[in-house]
Amino acid sequence: MTWVIMIMAGLFTFATRFVMFSGGTQRQLPAWLNDALTFVPIAVLTAIIVPAVLVDPVSNSISYMPTPRLIAALVAIAVALLTRHVVTTIIIGLVTLWILQWWM
Amino acid sequence: MQSAKSEFIAGIVDELPLMLGVVPFGLVFGVLGIASGLSVAETILMSSVLFGGASQVVFAQLWASGAPAFVIGGSVSVINLRHVLYSASMSVYLHHLPLRWRVILAYLLTDEAYAVSIRRFRDKPCNQHMHYHLLGAGMLLWVGWQISTIIGVVVGETIPDSWSLSFAIPLTFIAVVAPILRTRADLAAAFTAGILALLGQPLPWKLWLILAAIGGIAAGWLVHLHTEKSRKTLS
Repeated sequence: MTWVIMIMAGLFTFATRFVMFSGGTQRQLPAWLNDALTFVPIAVLTAIIVPAVLVDPVSNSISYMPTPRLIAALVAIAVALLTRHVVTTIIIGLVTLWILQWWM
Repeated sequence: MQSAKSEFIAGIVDELPLMLGVVPFGLVFGVLGIASGLSVAETILMSSVLFGGASQVVFAQLWASGAPAFVIGGSVSVINLRHVLYSASMSVYLHHLPLRWRVILAYLLTDEAYAVSIRRFRDKPCNQHMHYHLLGAGMLLWVGWQISTIIGVVVGETIPDSWSLSFAIPLTFIAVVAPILRTRADLAAAFTAGILALLGQPLPWKLWLILAAIGGIAAGWLVHLHTEKSRKTLS
């Protein structure tokens, strides 16, 4: 079953990459679709980030107190805005999390 | 006249700096795949079948939480919809190629390969070999992604849970998203998606991700439309 889902998802993903190469006459997306698709990365990635930071993995409930994860995420946002560097952001974020988990 | 070989090498060289972000992400995916209960073969082959980092991570996490097939498939599909944009903006440069080339290049069309090759296509003079640039960038990325996944799978079992390595995933996405939030429409998309992702947690079948993604896209698009309209009225 895992394989079936994976192959279906893989075929769909390939289709999203191939669709405009397929040789049809239309090579431009309608403006509204183009505009809407520009928001896909922001919407999808934020939807993954927020629960990963705020939902406690053990109790599965939203934590409203400043947890090590939340503080590490805020530090990472600041580092990302200042450096725009992916690896620096990951490393500083992880180290912050380790220090806070050890200390709190 | 640039030769095919020099375009191919230029693609590899342009892609190299981006590998600094790709390799750790591949490692984390390998670790996470095994931790999610996927088999070694499933984790490793997913990196060639899907070949899309964020969607693979979500696949593994949803699969581990027992989400039904249509939710896993739907979530992966929404996440990967952005490739339609890349496909559209690349098609001007690639549509004349034979089918086998278009199939290979479409398969290799990821965020990182798109980022470096579209710059080459737009900024430098066009020639008949320039698609080799995307081939070079895409192949380096593909090889690096496979190797880092395999290393992640191999070392995954030796890394203790207390290292919270899976937190590298939201951190990676923070590094991508934070700097691209520029307009009010961007902020609307992010806030809506974030809030819906939290509110949607109690929903059955892990539907929250699809809901939050579609809600965020809609909010960003509506604010964008509204800003455009008021700009037109002003002028």
